[in-house]
Amino acid sequence: MLYVKNLHKSYMTGKKEYPVLKGVSFQIAKGEFVAVMGPSGSGKSTLLNCISCYIPFDKGEITLGGTRLVYLNEAELAKVRNEKLGFVFQDFMLLDGLTVRENILVPRIIQGKVDTEAEAFADKLMNLFGISHISDKYPAEISGGEKQRTAVARSLINDPYIILADEPTGNLDSKSSRTVIESFEHAKEVMNATIFMVTHDSFAASFCDRVILLKDGTVCRQLEKSGSRSAFQDELLTAIKEMSE
Amino acid sequence: MKHPDLQKRNKTMDTRKRNCVTLHDMERKLQRADRKQASLYLFCNFISLMLISAYAAMMFSPTVLDILPEGGDSRKQMYAIFVLSLFGCVVFTIYAASLFFRKKSRQLGILMALGASRRRLAPGLFGEVFALSASSSVLGILAGFPFVWLLWNGFRLFLVDSEEMALRFDFRCLLVSLLFLFIVIAFSCLTAWRYLKKTNIMDVVQEEHKNEPVKELERWCGPAGVVILFAGAIIGYSAPGVYMNLFSAYPPGWINLLYAPVFLGLYMIMLHTVVHGWSRHRKHPHKNLIARSMMKFQGKQTVNNLLVSTVLIAGGCFGIFYIPIYSTGSILETSSRDYDYFFFSRADQNVPDRAEIENLASGYNLNLTDWQDHTYISLAYDGQKQVEEGRHFHYEYRLLLGECKIMSEDTYNAMTGNQVDVLPGTCYGITSTSQEDSFWISSGVTKFTNMCTMDSFNTKFAGFLHYDLTAGSNNSFYVVDNTDFAAMSQNLTGDWKGDLFFFNVDGEDNYDFARQLYLDFVHSFDASCEVIDAYDRVQKYADEQNGDVYWGDTDEMDKINYDQPDSTSFRMYWSYMPKIRILDQNDFLKSFAVFLMMFLFIAIICFTAALIICYTRCQTIALNNHYVFDDLKRLGASPQFLSREVRNQCGKVFTVPAAVGMTVTYLLFVMIMYANDGTLTGTEIVGLGVCLCVLLLIGVFIYGIYFKTLEKVRQQLEIR
Repeated sequence: MLYVKNLHKSYMTGKKEYPVLKGVSFQIAKGEFVAVMGPSGSGKSTLLNCISCYIPFDKGEITLGGTRLVYLNEAELAKVRNEKLGFVFQDFMLLDGLTVRENILVPRIIQGKVDTEAEAFADKLMNLFGISHISDKYPAEISGGEKQRTAVARSLINDPYIILADEPTGNLDSKSSRTVIESFEHAKEVMNATIFMVTHDSFAASFCDRVILLKDGTVCRQLEKSGSRSAFQDELLTAIKEMSE
Repeated sequence: MKHPDLQKRNKTMDTRKRNCVTLHDMERKLQRADRKQASLYLFCNFISLMLISAYAAMMFSPTVLDILPEGGDSRKQMYAIFVLSLFGCVVFTIYAASLFFRKKSRQLGILMALGASRRRLAPGLFGEVFALSASSSVLGILAGFPFVWLLWNGFRLFLVDSEEMALRFDFRCLLVSLLFLFIVIAFSCLTAWRYLKKTNIMDVVQEEHKNEPVKELERWCGPAGVVILFAGAIIGYSAPGVYMNLFSAYPPGWINLLYAPVFLGLYMIMLHTVVHGWSRHRKHPHKNLIARSMMKFQGKQTVNNLLVSTVLIAGGCFGIFYIPIYSTGSILETSSRDYDYFFFSRADQNVPDRAEIENLASGYNLNLTDWQDHTYISLAYDGQKQVEEGRHFHYEYRLLLGECKIMSEDTYNAMTGNQVDVLPGTCYGITSTSQEDSFWISSGVTKFTNMCTMDSFNTKFAGFLHYDLTAGSNNSFYVVDNTDFAAMSQNLTGDWKGDLFFFNVDGEDNYDFARQLYLDFVHSFDASCEVIDAYDRVQKYADEQNGDVYWGDTDEMDKINYDQPDSTSFRMYWSYMPKIRILDQNDFLKSFAVFLMMFLFIAIICFTAALIICYTRCQTIALNNHYVFDDLKRLGASPQFLSREVRNQCGKVFTVPAAVGMTVTYLLFVMIMYANDGTLTGTEIVGLGVCLCVLLLIGVFIYGIYFKTLEKVRQQLEIR
């Protein structure tokens, strides 16, 4: 589904170059729920932004559903973002002037394909994530958890190859975090969605099938869940501790 | 009664009808939701266009152009301040556009992140930006005319009215407004294009909360700015004179660019103010740290705003200073005259004589006292003529250089009560006591020529004598020895001879008498005297001898008309304009109404623009930093602390431009007055004192606006 090979990315501050990703490689299969963890500055968000085509990368290759992103022009990248990718951001990124329902439909509106089928699918997603009762409300009128579930529904409206989530629980309390992670699980179970999530939260990561640990711009380690969620969380905490030593 | 389920279904259907189904629908809905942000942009554009259109309307108005002499200082000042205002308003609209896009960028970024291509977003974005810019600009242009009309007629209703104040428009002024409109639309579309072209979508999303990178700024920046500013003012002011002396040519337009260091200096001062502030903070390095940091991280915007406000306030002060400086000089000159009435005329004119004036006065129960009458003659004087060849010039000796008036030493002594003995073959020039008008007297004169006999008389300039009544442009006299005077007067016809007469009235003067006498006097002259004081019969003779047309007989010279004896140009420039104290005192405002009101108008425009920019800047402090104040509240900051931080920032936005703008203009005025004649005369010192009082009033007014703005910002930030 997603192949990342030898990815490099640097930022320029003044005349000085700061390498952030130094040859990151991994792959994610269809239906997998994968998290990326690592200390601040390890390159997690940069990695996600490169895969999202939000920022250009310097070197390497990203292949999504057989399409090599490096060869795409601006319009084709926009099409990929719209049709093949779904996004969930830490600060929700909902449009304040649109209702919950309209926000969910935004990717379809951009596509110019808002038909009965799309509206029915939006309703189905709202039901799935328990936000039908707020469908006509505006973002300012709903809670953080509801906003993030709206964002998850929006990310699925085009049935994308993969959902990219950047710290989706970063702005939420524990209860809301849990409902959001459960939303991802629902999406995975019901719609066989593939999810790639950047997180600091070991609790949220423990729901994943696999966790990639990044350190100083390289993949340091990968952990796969084999037992219970809590056992996986303990394993993650230990691995993070070892990584920071 | 409908079934509840049916009602619910209908409601859902209605809701769905309202849902956006196309990108266009969605953009329209988002635009409606963002109307608060758009309204700030609309307001800024509207105000800028309205002010500039209003200024342009007045600048091109025949009402003003008929009064402000072409090529005169007042007209140049009007144009110069317009350029400053235009610069200020252009920067302001650019600032407004960047504010609008900072807010808009999040929406744009989200849509880009969700896969909207630039091509898909472009029509909606350009459409919105064009509609907002064009509508606000057109409305601003249209509002400019009622604004001018209301303001000008407000002056006429509450301050002063005269026939000349009747407002007339020349709609060519719209070209300036249209140019500005084009700039506004072009810049907003350019900014939209710049946002769409950004390759890093996260940059677009986070634009709103992005701070400017802070560059290291040395502490010498501010003091160096002050030095550069004053150096620029001195260089800019003295450059034309130096150029003329060095190259014997009129300076080209680009020489005004030498004033550029003034703006550089101002910029450096503002930069220093924002980044370091002017207090040392050594004892309390953390004092005002938050306010300083918040301003520092929006340094570019802040400095631009402060600079523009400063320039506008300086322009406003420059305009308003015109009124006290001009009025004070006139009031002091009028009240210090030795005589209530002073006339001079040509001997060939049938002007009222003493008996006729006494007879007229008796009709108003007035008695004349201290009557004096004397004679003078008009001759040609010689000297170096500035001969122009394009922009270059050189000097050539001319026997018949220009016309001058001459009186005998007896006349001078009788008039002034002095006992001056003028040696034969010498002459003195009469100036005012302050000698500020000495440039009207040619100290290089060596020959006087009788224009009837063409006999020339050698003379040597011996210095200046003083008498305020006969000083000034059209009244400048030379004093010669009695015998010389008699010789020079030989065979002069009446049109080269003249009479001087002056008197007081016993008791309180009467305006109606003064006015009637003035009108009788004006109408007693024939058409040969219907000329301004710059009309020189000697130059005319010399030009015609050379086969040239004298410029005074062309349309280049302003014309006056006996039928409009109360017009500004007649009272300012008539060649035989008498000095009548009660008339000049009462009619001063009326006679110079257009002059004075135009500069008041300019000041109002500049101050309005400056204060609106300061107000908007403070508004954006509230809008952009709301989250910072929220964080500070969460960290336990007291309302007093938060108020202080807001006050520190808003205070700087108002006080720095006001203090710098007012100080710089004041010092510039002092410099100009001093440089005029190398000294500050009593009149100038009084005028500058009045300007200081005006500055205090402006300061109080600005403080009032600042106080109201501060309250509003506190409300917006919910600081109680």
